[in-house]
Amino acid sequence: MFHWIVLATSWNILSGYSGYFSFGHGAFFGAGVYTTAVLAGSYGMPFLWTLPVAAIVAAALGAGLGAVAFRVRNVRGELFALLTLAVTFVLATIVLNTPIDGGPGVYLSAVAVPVLAPSESGSFYMMALLLAVGTLVVAYAIPKSRLGLGLYAIHDDEDAAEVMGVPTYRYKLIAFAISCARAGVAGGIQSLFVSYVTAGSTFNITVPLTVILMSVLGGTRHWAGPALGATAITLLLYASTAADQAMMGKAATGAILVAAVLFMPNGILGVRRRGISAQPAVPLPSGAVPHAERVEASDETRDGARDAMRSVPPDAVPAAARTATARRAGETLLSVRGLHKSFKGVRALDGVDLDVREGEILGVLGPNGSGKSTLINVVSGHYRADAGSLRFAGGELAGLPAHRIARAGIARTYQIPRPFPKLPVRDNVALTAMFGAAALDRADANAAADRCLEFAGLGGQGQLRPGELTLHQTKFLELARALAARPRLMMLDEVLSGLTPTEIDGAVELIRGIRDQGTTIMFVEHVMRAITALSDRIVVLDQGRVLAQGEASEVMARRDVAVAYLGAAHA
Amino acid sequence: MTFPSGTLLAQSALSGVFIGSLYGLLGLGVGLAWGLLHVINLAHFAFAFLAAYLCYQLASVGGMDPLLTLALIVPLFAALGAALQWVLERFDVSPLNSLLATFGIAAIIEAGIQWEWTADFRKLESVYAGRTFKVGVLFVPLPELLTLLLSLILAFGIWAAMRYTNLGRALRALAEDAPIAAAFGINRRAHALVLAGVCGALAGIAGVCLALTYTLTPSQIYAWVGVVFAAVMLGGLGSALGPLTGGIVIGVSEAVTMAFVSPSWAPIVSFSLLIGLLLLKPERS
Amino acid sequence: MSIIARTARWACAACVGLAMASGAWAQAGQPPIRIGSTLALTGPLAATSLVHKVVGEIYVEQLNKRGGLLGRPVEWIVKDDQSKPDLARTLYEQLITADKVDLLMGPYATGAILSAMGVAQRYHKVLIHHTFGIPSMAKYDMQFPAWSLGPDPGTTVPTTVLKALAASPKPPKTIAIVTSKFPSVHFMSLGAREVAKKMGLKEVLFLEWDFGNLDYGPIAARIKDANPDFLWVGAIGLEGNQLLEAMHKIDYTPHEHFYLYPAPGPMSKSPLANDAMSVTLFEEHPPFTNAPGAAEFIKLYHERAAKAGIPDPTVEVQAAASYTAWQILEAGVRGAGSLDDKAIAAWIKTHRVQTITGNLRFDGPNNYGDDLMKVKQVQNGHWVTVYPKEFAAPGATLQVQ
Repeated sequence: MFHWIVLATSWNILSGYSGYFSFGHGAFFGAGVYTTAVLAGSYGMPFLWTLPVAAIVAAALGAGLGAVAFRVRNVRGELFALLTLAVTFVLATIVLNTPIDGGPGVYLSAVAVPVLAPSESGSFYMMALLLAVGTLVVAYAIPKSRLGLGLYAIHDDEDAAEVMGVPTYRYKLIAFAISCARAGVAGGIQSLFVSYVTAGSTFNITVPLTVILMSVLGGTRHWAGPALGATAITLLLYASTAADQAMMGKAATGAILVAAVLFMPNGILGVRRRGISAQPAVPLPSGAVPHAERVEASDETRDGARDAMRSVPPDAVPAAARTATARRAGETLLSVRGLHKSFKGVRALDGVDLDVREGEILGVLGPNGSGKSTLINVVSGHYRADAGSLRFAGGELAGLPAHRIARAGIARTYQIPRPFPKLPVRDNVALTAMFGAAALDRADANAAADRCLEFAGLGGQGQLRPGELTLHQTKFLELARALAARPRLMMLDEVLSGLTPTEIDGAVELIRGIRDQGTTIMFVEHVMRAITALSDRIVVLDQGRVLAQGEASEVMARRDVAVAYLGAAHA
Repeated sequence: MTFPSGTLLAQSALSGVFIGSLYGLLGLGVGLAWGLLHVINLAHFAFAFLAAYLCYQLASVGGMDPLLTLALIVPLFAALGAALQWVLERFDVSPLNSLLATFGIAAIIEAGIQWEWTADFRKLESVYAGRTFKVGVLFVPLPELLTLLLSLILAFGIWAAMRYTNLGRALRALAEDAPIAAAFGINRRAHALVLAGVCGALAGIAGVCLALTYTLTPSQIYAWVGVVFAAVMLGGLGSALGPLTGGIVIGVSEAVTMAFVSPSWAPIVSFSLLIGLLLLKPERS
Repeated sequence: MSIIARTARWACAACVGLAMASGAWAQAGQPPIRIGSTLALTGPLAATSLVHKVVGEIYVEQLNKRGGLLGRPVEWIVKDDQSKPDLARTLYEQLITADKVDLLMGPYATGAILSAMGVAQRYHKVLIHHTFGIPSMAKYDMQFPAWSLGPDPGTTVPTTVLKALAASPKPPKTIAIVTSKFPSVHFMSLGAREVAKKMGLKEVLFLEWDFGNLDYGPIAARIKDANPDFLWVGAIGLEGNQLLEAMHKIDYTPHEHFYLYPAPGPMSKSPLANDAMSVTLFEEHPPFTNAPGAAEFIKLYHERAAKAGIPDPTVEVQAAASYTAWQILEAGVRGAGSLDDKAIAAWIKTHRVQTITGNLRFDGPNNYGDDLMKVKQVQNGHWVTVYPKEFAAPGATLQVQ
């Protein structure tokens, strides 16, 4: 039973937390089984010494697989599950056809069971218990750590997580390795427990299926969920071992499983959690909310934001930004040269040159498809540039992974807000404080998150899920999130679209407030009024090239800009 | 190692094509439900075996022609498939949870089969079983040929239906973007039920093919899961022709490995192929 | 005994599903001797396990009719290990510690028996088992086999088979060995290679496949290509039938062919299996049926097996080995005159036991005695023993094409 707890919990460390469903837990478990079986059974290594080796072999296998699989962007979800399943079969074939097993199985009767308790079965019990407790401690600690928050973010929206500064590749590898190492140790103990190991009974689809079953039954978001599910299913298994009800038992197990899935879709512990948090509101499209209500709400928000700004405590002002304020002489912060990016032959960016100066608000505009959003996506590292350079505060950004760019001091918002839907609002903000340029620890990040939420007029909403916010609140959440990173450059992608005029006024003031604290802002916008109100300078893009660059009024007066922006009919 | 003769190679490859077509036939229903309904249906395999046992019962005890049993089995399993979808829909089950729920259903069906037919092996001895044609130097057994033809007809039939009928287009639209399709007035639930019924019927047909060619035992249900999943992913989720192609690729690659090298190394070829494909061309699937 | 206690006992008995002692004992207050085991009643091994369940029930019933053991009734507690060796292990621990059974009977098959053996060793219990295929792994000194393979079946079994062929009118000159990588089968096939070499047969093909293989077409094609005089198939369960069918589909009929552990019913019923050979310990014909108790057992088994829905209710190796195991257990307890495991083991080790599969001894390596495997062949839809001559069915000889 304990080994199932270990397996289910360790599986959950990768798959439950980060959402990468592994169907290959049998492979890592089996790697542990055979490592111990071969070392202890054939080479006479003391059993306890084989366990760390089993952990290392399994972890190395997992990390090796991860190192390849996680590099390929699209290997997610079902594909990752299948990949790991395929690895199980490949490993089984190798074990079966090489001297590792070769066919007859490995028998461990001669291996001494370490004495940890008066009886041998007691010793097994102790070993399994220790491992189970150890695994549960790890599973408990991870969600409270940077790693855990990062994994949850990966689960919800991996690309956004990377852009917020989460080193997704490394985190996934770590989680995978931890998960595999635990499975490997469990396999090692199991091999001595059954004392006869065959490829057929080790590498099969039953192990991963049972493990997934247990985790999902218990609840994958909770550290104790898999353990609870494992306990429930094991008890069920033993309850159905009576000979005359063998078939009834099997059918009953099936029926209970079906009922559990239908009535507790989030697992046993998921039910309890849902009971506490409010029913999540469906995010409504902007047109669906009656106008009067929306205005009221936004007035409140705006007032809140104003109040908050007036009373921003000095330590909420980003440190980097404050120093920047001092040398607000208009030095170049970001220098883009010859930037190219194509999608399937379509040139979204075709040699863009532009500068962003320290402390300014730079408006980027252009017609649809002119490359505005692509520009932000390339600068933030969401897409990799085909050619060109991105010099930021003296360093080169082109080619860096997105999380390094975030660390360097660039934060962004998304045109369509991309909060992590399963994280509370406060964790959404704390995440960037931890992984962004600010790089705070968990406690400071929470404090910073609260201040930023307050600043954005979302004070007191920290425990809600993003889905429970209204659209404009979600947009302010995006701002708070970018702010919490304490970036030197903040890139805003159409934060104003979909807002009512009064809401826009609030947002404009908020953005000014952010700049006044020393953060440089580059923003992409359609709303003309906001551009003229906010921008120090303007860049106009058209068909992936810079059409015009300069002071706002000057640029707006140019005829070619009008043609490009407003269309030929107005010319 | 002696170099195998051309006949041996061709005969082996043919054997791979045949078993591949059965992988494909099983995979067709799995892949459609997975890709278009977002249901990972393990019960599909149990349905197929239930159908195989029913076919066995009707044909060897009831004396019916095995192919005629399709007339009973197809509507019955279409209804079963639709009923399953109705329940999953009713409870709004996520793809992963659907895997678990259908695993539970598979366990229930397995127990039921064992209850009714015991765990002992059952083999349908039909008029088709012993028939073999000789084409050139190659031997073509009738049951396998029937399986291949059925899976070809069904795969192309469904492919055409997806492409040229309103129902098919609606289904593809739903799979792409359900809310938008709904906004265009496509009734999601009704269409999903129809598709699930089709998948159920496919399981029934696959079951009859299983009964024609294989000896049955309840625990065999799970023997097919791994390789059929592989065929489905190889061919592409929700694709009509993909699983058959994938199945035949796997079947032939394994058969040729068996003929050239050693049967015990066969799985490594097909699964390495799959891993390679996943890593090199993940956007395909 | 109070009504409540009796009711509780009956409920308990119903719960574990055993052949309950008659009311007389219950009233006499003699506690039953409890024998515990697991069987793979669900999962891939379920088909054969049902045979062992039926046989065990018959034996316990017969035993109780004879007056039980040591003057006490016997109760058999069976649990379902779901074809999982690790579950078998846990359940045997439970049987010993929680159910406090007095004696153990082995599970089905090799993997589960090894698990049970580990538990028995830990608690110093005697373990008698009916279907253990790899004698070299039976390292515990208080385990006793009913599957009489001898200590080195990898050599002795192929030797018996090849000798039978050598004595036939048409001795083979070439051999093809194809085998599943199933543990209890694989080592025998490797042994067959050695024996064949020693006996001067030319090996024209050696192939291994993974247990659970679904496509036998290419294997059949390679056999056809090699066209051996004698085909040794290291097959277990359905694999034999699947290979036969695959060969038939490419219009190939092997000359002389042997299957190690086929599913007996489906193979003898298959029209393709004519002349197929295998090994046996017992078949339903003389001289086996002359063994004491055999006739009665066969009669009861036909009845019960049909009732349990077993499609082929013939007593053959599995059922006979199962019965043999119970006979060894009974002999051991009677011989020792107590339930003390050490005494029972000491008695069995030093005595011969008369069973329906022969007169067994347990004093060889790993408590194995003689290799009692005989060669049988499908003739006219039935298995008949053909070698050695003294065990052959009346008038039966090895048929060759």
